Amino acid sequence: MVDAATGTMGVGTRAAARRRPGLFQRKSTIAFLMALPLILIIALLVLYPALYSMHLATLNKSMERFVGLGNFEFLFKRETFWMVVQQSCIFAITAVLFKALIGLFVAHFVHAIPNKGQRKWRGMLLVPWVIPPAMSTLAWFWLFDPSYSAFNWLFALVGIDPVPWLGDAYWARFSVILVNVWYGAPFFMIMYLAALKSVPEQLYEAASIDGANWWQRLWYVTLPMMRNIILITVLFSTIVTFANFDIVRVLTAGGPIDQTHVFATWAFKLGIEGGDIPLGASVSLFMLPILGLGAIFILRDINKRGNEA
Amino acid sequence: MATAVLHDRGGPSRPVRYGSISRSRKRALVWSYVFLVIFAIFFLMPPVYMFITSLKTSQEISAATNPWWVFDPTLANYIELLSSNQYLTFFKNSAIISIAVVIITMCVSIPAAFALSRMKFWGSTTLATGVFLTYLIPETLLFIPLFKTFAFVYEYTGIQLINNWWVLLFLYPTLTVPFCTWIMIGYFASIPKELDEAAIIDGASYVQTLTRIFIPVALPGIIAATIFAFTVSWAQFLYPLAFTTSTDQLVLPVGIITTLIKGDVFNWGQIMTGALLGAAPPLIIYAFLMDYYIAGLTAGATKG
Amino acid sequence: MNRTRVSRRGVLKGAAAVSVVGLSAPFVRGAHAAGKLAVGFWDHWVPGANSALTKLCEEWAAKEKVDLTIDYITSQGNKNLLTIAAESQARSGHDILAFPTWQPADQAKNLEPVDDIMTELIKQNGAVNGTVEYLGRSGGKWVAVPATAGSQIKGPCSRMDLLKQHAGIDIQAMYAAGGPPKADAWTMDAFLTAAQKCHKAGVPFGVGLGQTSDSVDSAGAFFQSFGATLIDAKGNITVKSDATRQALDFYKRLIAVLPADVSAWDDASNNKWIVSGRGSMIMNPPSAWAVAKRDAPQIAEQLWTHGMPSGPNGRYAPFLPYFWGIWGFSRNKTAAKSLLMHISQPSAAEKMVIASGGYDLPAFEKLTTFKTWAEVGPPKGTLYHYPNPHNHQTLSIAAAPAPPKIAAQIYTQATMTKMAVRHAQGEAMEKTLAWAESELEGFSRS
Repeated sequence: MVDAATGTMGVGTRAAARRRPGLFQRKSTIAFLMALPLILIIALLVLYPALYSMHLATLNKSMERFVGLGNFEFLFKRETFWMVVQQSCIFAITAVLFKALIGLFVAHFVHAIPNKGQRKWRGMLLVPWVIPPAMSTLAWFWLFDPSYSAFNWLFALVGIDPVPWLGDAYWARFSVILVNVWYGAPFFMIMYLAALKSVPEQLYEAASIDGANWWQRLWYVTLPMMRNIILITVLFSTIVTFANFDIVRVLTAGGPIDQTHVFATWAFKLGIEGGDIPLGASVSLFMLPILGLGAIFILRDINKRGNEA
Repeated sequence: MATAVLHDRGGPSRPVRYGSISRSRKRALVWSYVFLVIFAIFFLMPPVYMFITSLKTSQEISAATNPWWVFDPTLANYIELLSSNQYLTFFKNSAIISIAVVIITMCVSIPAAFALSRMKFWGSTTLATGVFLTYLIPETLLFIPLFKTFAFVYEYTGIQLINNWWVLLFLYPTLTVPFCTWIMIGYFASIPKELDEAAIIDGASYVQTLTRIFIPVALPGIIAATIFAFTVSWAQFLYPLAFTTSTDQLVLPVGIITTLIKGDVFNWGQIMTGALLGAAPPLIIYAFLMDYYIAGLTAGATKG
Repeated sequence: MNRTRVSRRGVLKGAAAVSVVGLSAPFVRGAHAAGKLAVGFWDHWVPGANSALTKLCEEWAAKEKVDLTIDYITSQGNKNLLTIAAESQARSGHDILAFPTWQPADQAKNLEPVDDIMTELIKQNGAVNGTVEYLGRSGGKWVAVPATAGSQIKGPCSRMDLLKQHAGIDIQAMYAAGGPPKADAWTMDAFLTAAQKCHKAGVPFGVGLGQTSDSVDSAGAFFQSFGATLIDAKGNITVKSDATRQALDFYKRLIAVLPADVSAWDDASNNKWIVSGRGSMIMNPPSAWAVAKRDAPQIAEQLWTHGMPSGPNGRYAPFLPYFWGIWGFSRNKTAAKSLLMHISQPSAAEKMVIASGGYDLPAFEKLTTFKTWAEVGPPKGTLYHYPNPHNHQTLSIAAAPAPPKIAAQIYTQATMTKMAVRHAQGEAMEKTLAWAESELEGFSRS
């Protein structure tokens, strides 16, 4: 389609265009055409609906009257809303932190063992990330089940009282974060492992000659070399974790008494199940500016570093 | 950084010299194995438990005996699911959608990434950075406006978009294309400029440069992006949940959750079987293509 | 789109093969309705219950030469609510959908009025109870037809052996099959004492306090037994009352003797609780018993479905009616009405009741005398009191009598179970009430 059209154009006019000042312009036209499908997808299926949602967020419940920022005003007065904000932050920050730490540790261990066995270990450790989360969460749900929990069965063997995995607010938050960490850590592991492998061996040798210990090598060689990839994975994971829907939805649906709701599940509850679409849209929109600013700063930082390198 | 990445692209087979394993090194190795075993248990427990449960009958599960052991193994759950038209339809829908979405994604993101990394045009830098920001807009925000759009389309053309699996072919790319483009931009950026400059001087068109030089050289990156797109499409849950309802239009994750779980009926054996079988295709793909995945992902991400 | 799906699980169990061909379909008499029709029914929880409805619809489709597509949409994870919201926004999808409780009122302006069908059906099958009228009529019009499939009473279902052994209650004698209940002693106090004794014996009652319908319905009935209403019929917030305080106090004492994680229970948890043999009572329609009959027959034999305990304000049973409604955007409303008429006939209702093992409840007065409820077992007669044959309890829906649009939110947000859990977890009474009041103010906004 686009390729073919621009292709013939490129071939046919190249000789003539070489000496003309119009060349630059033509090149940019081709480039624009090549990027056009991408632009269309983003504009039509992401930007337009997003703008439409912003419009929805300014309407009243029955979507008949313009209320401006009335929905936000209403939300800001609600105890539950601030609880959801707090929970989303706890959920995303804790989960990303543990995913990154576990990913880094596991990557380190895999990197430390002989090359021969690495493939096998990597394969095993990547499994959680490969299973669709809606399905693996079902397994967790069944492991946590009040009547049939396999964990509690093991605990009973050693005389520990059954744990209300999803029944108590703190345990439920723990469980939801645990499942998210379980699902996401392998992605960090694989990214960090690849990054570790791209650190030139000479740097370590040089550091060893300078008398650096293990910790110093990690701090002064490994981490700076992995800086970009750590930033990118953390950024990507933070965005995705803040928007997480399936894990909370399948595991707790927000309960008990709303204490595990995150933005996506609460917006769904308000908008779809409660029939207040504008309010749901407002909840979804709340995080956008904050995350957006963070993302822009990190991306700019990475670009700057990338250009220096 | 760039040189390091290029240096490694050959794959993870870089020889490591373990000629002089000192005592402390040996101890570190033992600890590494200990921790790896602990993490492997943590990571593999749910799938293993799925497997154990999938071999049980409903009676055995509801009898609440040792959940970690199968006393009376049966393949009935597998047989029942694999001979059920409904489940096979979910599988077929998932497969068609995922493969088609991968193809669409590649057709969109490879040319776009090439254009954005090599041929500047007005706003291309902003677009290259901004592409990543589309992930900031959560899916929960998007589907209601999309419903409204569907209503508009239905009114004017009579084409019913809701409850049709092919609608997902338009929607999934919004989730795959940005990341894939972004990975490809990074990967293309790690290809030396001299390579394509030489090609252009030799009289190749931009499209030829892309198809003859970039695509072959960037194959690991492309494979990584392909696998990513496949995983995302296979696992997507919210869009198909919101847009499809009829059992012949459902994809696997939604199908399992909406048809196998019935509030009051007890069939966890089947649910676990369904989930396990649903996880199989991506598992198989990763088993074969993981090395490319790692190589491609790193090169793309570190430069992006 | 594919054609009508074949019935999923074998043939209908012992269906009385009464032909309904003789019954007229008044809206298309003399002409073929023809065209296409897509319907989405509730995906039944009793194994095999969908097939009776499928068969009835297929008969109708063959007779009327309509290209019919039937989908069964689960309420697990509120998928049905999502579908309703999606189709009302996209203004396309099915022609007929099954609407649970509050949805007809919530979607009233998007639904085709069905006064014509309802007038006919009430004339034919007798009146409907007040709750059905409250939910199915909006703005003076019927907006949906009460459905047999899916309508249910979620009364207690107890283990006879355990209640006798640990609490000294012979529930089978109290609610003997074939006669009116002798349940004067079955009060909230008796219920609580029994719960405490069973807890001590290690087989606690399993009353859910999560956010799904089973839990919300139970809470609704308990609240009403104490006369606690959150919002009255005029829309005034009335949560701060002594009745509410009593109800919360009752719940606090009850929760102390329930399993630790009832606040996370969903609609399946109570079933698992009784089927696993670890509990002595749950609040659920007979699907738990039906599943136990299949997976744990020795437990099923000990299950007895009976009435609610009475409170200071009377005896209320949690009732959850389903409705069938026709979308305003449907392009084949005539055929849709004809189909609804067909599946609301007495013989059709009886087939659904039989196929669901007595689970489904027709809403019309003359249709509550089917033999199934008295006959199914074991134990024989376990469902005799399920359809409330002697009218000894008031059938009510949680959050009534608030205006439906507000009540719908109280229901989906599970405000009552949340109040009970908050207070039971140690929050001061007045603080819980203040929290509830602020939530309710939020629901009242337009």
